[in-house]
Amino acid sequence: MSTVVTGRPRRPWDGFSDWANKHRKWVLAAPAIIFVIALMVVPLLYTVVLSFTDAEGSIQRAFDFVWFENYVSILTDTARFWPAVWRTVIFTAVAVTLEMTIGMAVALLLRRPFMGRGLIRVVMLLPLVATPVAVAMMWLLIFEPTVGFANQLLGWLGLPAQGWISDPSTALGTLMLVDVWQWTPMVILILLAGLVGLPEEQQEAARIDGASNWQRFWHVTLPMLKTTVIAALLLRSIDAMKTFDLLYVTKGTGGGSSHEVETLNIYAYALSFDYNEYGMAAALVLIYFLIIVGVLVVLNMRRKEKVR
Amino acid sequence: MKARSSLESRGFVGLRAVLLIVFGLICLAPIVWMLLASFKTNIDIYDPSSTFSFTPTLQNYSAVFAQADFLQFFFNSLVIGVGSTALSLLIGVPAAFSMQRFGMAKSSGLVLLSRVIPHVTLLVPWYFIFASLQMVGGYSSLIISHMFISVPLIVWVMIGVFEGVPVELEEAARVDGLTHIGAFRRIVIPLVVPGIATSAILSFIFSWNNFVFALVLSGTNTRTLPVAIFNFIGYASIDWGALMAACVSITAPMIVMALLGQKYVVAGMTAGAVKG
Amino acid sequence: MSMRYRRTWMLGATLATGAMVLAGCSGGGTDDTINIAVANHPWTDAVLANVEDFEAESGLNVEVTSYTEDQLSQQLNVRLNANADDIDVMMVRPLQEIRTFDRNGWLADLTEHATTDEEWDWSDFQEGPQESVTLEDRVLGVPLATEREVLYYRTDLLEAAGLEVPQTLEELEAAAQTIQNQNPDVYGFVSRGARAAAVTQFSSFLYSYGADWVAEDGTSGIGTPEAREAYTFYGDMLRNYGPPGVTNMSWPEAMGIFTQGRAAFYTEADSLYTNATDPANSTVSDVVGFAQFPEGPAGSRPTNVPSWALAVPGSSNNQDSAWEFIRWATNQENTLVAQENGVIGARASAWETEMPDIPADLAEAQRSSAEVGVGYSHPVVLNVSRARDIVGDPIVTSIEGGDVDAALDAADGAFNEFLAEENE
Repeated sequence: MSTVVTGRPRRPWDGFSDWANKHRKWVLAAPAIIFVIALMVVPLLYTVVLSFTDAEGSIQRAFDFVWFENYVSILTDTARFWPAVWRTVIFTAVAVTLEMTIGMAVALLLRRPFMGRGLIRVVMLLPLVATPVAVAMMWLLIFEPTVGFANQLLGWLGLPAQGWISDPSTALGTLMLVDVWQWTPMVILILLAGLVGLPEEQQEAARIDGASNWQRFWHVTLPMLKTTVIAALLLRSIDAMKTFDLLYVTKGTGGGSSHEVETLNIYAYALSFDYNEYGMAAALVLIYFLIIVGVLVVLNMRRKEKVR
Repeated sequence: MKARSSLESRGFVGLRAVLLIVFGLICLAPIVWMLLASFKTNIDIYDPSSTFSFTPTLQNYSAVFAQADFLQFFFNSLVIGVGSTALSLLIGVPAAFSMQRFGMAKSSGLVLLSRVIPHVTLLVPWYFIFASLQMVGGYSSLIISHMFISVPLIVWVMIGVFEGVPVELEEAARVDGLTHIGAFRRIVIPLVVPGIATSAILSFIFSWNNFVFALVLSGTNTRTLPVAIFNFIGYASIDWGALMAACVSITAPMIVMALLGQKYVVAGMTAGAVKG
Repeated sequence: MSMRYRRTWMLGATLATGAMVLAGCSGGGTDDTINIAVANHPWTDAVLANVEDFEAESGLNVEVTSYTEDQLSQQLNVRLNANADDIDVMMVRPLQEIRTFDRNGWLADLTEHATTDEEWDWSDFQEGPQESVTLEDRVLGVPLATEREVLYYRTDLLEAAGLEVPQTLEELEAAAQTIQNQNPDVYGFVSRGARAAAVTQFSSFLYSYGADWVAEDGTSGIGTPEAREAYTFYGDMLRNYGPPGVTNMSWPEAMGIFTQGRAAFYTEADSLYTNATDPANSTVSDVVGFAQFPEGPAGSRPTNVPSWALAVPGSSNNQDSAWEFIRWATNQENTLVAQENGVIGARASAWETEMPDIPADLAEAQRSSAEVGVGYSHPVVLNVSRARDIVGDPIVTSIEGGDVDAALDAADGAFNEFLAEENE
């Protein structure tokens, strides 16, 4: 192997090779960084410019700069914008809370090996890898008021039929449950990976001290698992705030007839591709992006606290 | 050896079994329901008494596959999935290596920010850019857009993987006369093949499942399966049976992949989260 | 050795993926292929079934892509915005899209082709549809389908209840109630309830109550007492006699309810009638009847609109071939083919031809509707999507049994603001 370099004559590309090795830090990283700059930073700058204009109809048409007018009209819009913010928050908060709670419970149950654990771990991958559009269609049929299985089940239990996704008052809640179904396994996987890495000693010590199961979980396990828990929370919160496929496929543009499931993502899509109000849409997506970054920063600070 | 703790008492074991069976059923039941519906005629779907007892039919599947286009959509999804995964590995793996070894926090932060940005933010500028490059409607714009999901994913997964590869190995290779990049390619890469497999499987799954990019950017001949299925729903009075057959057909490859590559999928889903 | 091999391999892999990407780059078709974007509409099924004839005749290759209505409109916006050259012919809704697409400079001018081709004969097209695709004397599209809202009903249920076909909206309500009470599994009435989709079908109710979207002075017309009554009536009908979840329904869902035998009356565009009469899709195919839209306080004022047209994007590189296709698709012969399948075209000559396959009661309803009909089914403005959402909102409130007056006040204000902004 070592003979490759020592004895051979210099080849034409050796000069390049030397240069590449010398600057390998950037040679290796640059393609990915340039890719991200081209696809994210440039479009973001473009969006910022667009957000100060009244561009609409066609992006090639002449437009005027209206500066902060778009931002003002969005932030004062109590008919579509603020309800959409509220729905985004409530959808994320409820869905993620349920996912974290159920996820923690199941992860604790799965912590130690037992017969059939492998099977459960396979089964719970299914919701995770199934195509979200197909999942949305599947639940649409299950929650169909007249032929769906959900109402059939309620019928067997002697309960009245519900409108589920089709009823404006229950649509968002139902879709939260679908999100919980789909993503709780991911929380379980992450927490389980964290639990496996925990040292046993403190557990033993606490057990000898006579701590109850709950006390041991609350005072020993949870603090040690904090970074993992927050990481799972972070990943899920960001993705839940960005939920699109499920909401768009089940309720369409505008999030249903009363905008009952219109989150910021769905509203931004309608502004862009249904109304073609590009200036307004640009302002909205930037506000939306800032909200997400805000959540990211806050959660990340909580995560770092412990590490330092 | 020593007596099992109170946690493992018989009562606990029983309760755990019940809870986990319920959990497993909840995960499984909707998918089974979808599978059953895909083998039913529409008359059976509309008839509550034939939830579980019905004569299975393949007519939904033949309806789905008789549409020659469906195979085209399948092919599109495959080309875009493979293309975006391969290209993302090509630029993502070296980048992750460099970022890990040189501790490039700002750069990795930038790349990971693309994991966070809502995709709807990018669609309008993208199609403007792709249009001025004459790329709208081709595979290239879709492959690039899907790479936008898989590059950060791969960087995210691989930084964690490279952390586990001791620098000493590269130093030894340097002593043997390899260049830095040579050592990366010949010594480090073979050690992280499982990590690369994890990245590849995950990025293929995400590409296959992606909806919004193809919804906006796909052309006449490059529509992917999720978009094709979404279009299915608007036809005449909804044909639930065929719709479910289409859903099963699109999901089945992912489920098979997850079963065969279970270890990798799990590793990918949990990557980065545990170490912080 | 092994190192060189590896390098070659990596280079090969890079080239291969690169080549694959480049191969995908060419979005536009070649000169002898024309790409057509269409909506899922009975016209598409009927005429494009014979597209091989055109391909054989012209030597051109036709690639058809079909979308749902919403998707088509969004796709067109994206593609045309991007100056994409992968659409050569597209189906557009004249009243909804021609004006705004033209303002954006997206449409090829077809005047030259249309007015000089005597054999194809532009003058055979009726005046209303012609006007809908003509701006400032420029022909920007060719109308291919017209639609009227008619009443679909179940002859068997009516007979069992001993009722006549309702002539007025009052009678419709009474009949829906009677039939719903007699048949526990049947809803008295179904129609579209989804916000934007409902607007086109609610139009006939609005007009028949003597109201209009926009008043003569150019301000909102939905705040008038007549409009309020219309909104209230439509909402009450669907709330009291409609299926659950109706606010999610566009025509595929509503048609599903009707064709599964679960509704007695259904107000819908006539062009969709084959969904109800085709035994393969419909369990009620032999008991469907059709009638003209019932009379309201202002008489029977159904919509009679040029619903679809073919147009050519200005960015297409194949405009001449595109015209060849349009010329074929809208010639006398194909207009008749479409008409045999229930899609009434815009050619005067075709109107006069007897159509044995169309149910007699439908043909009669179509003829009489055309005489009294109103030529638009939503506010005729530039941003129609936005306008439909505004005026559709109170429909939903009304269906849900909410405060219709408050919703109408809000929508009336918003619509006035919208109109003022558009006229700036």
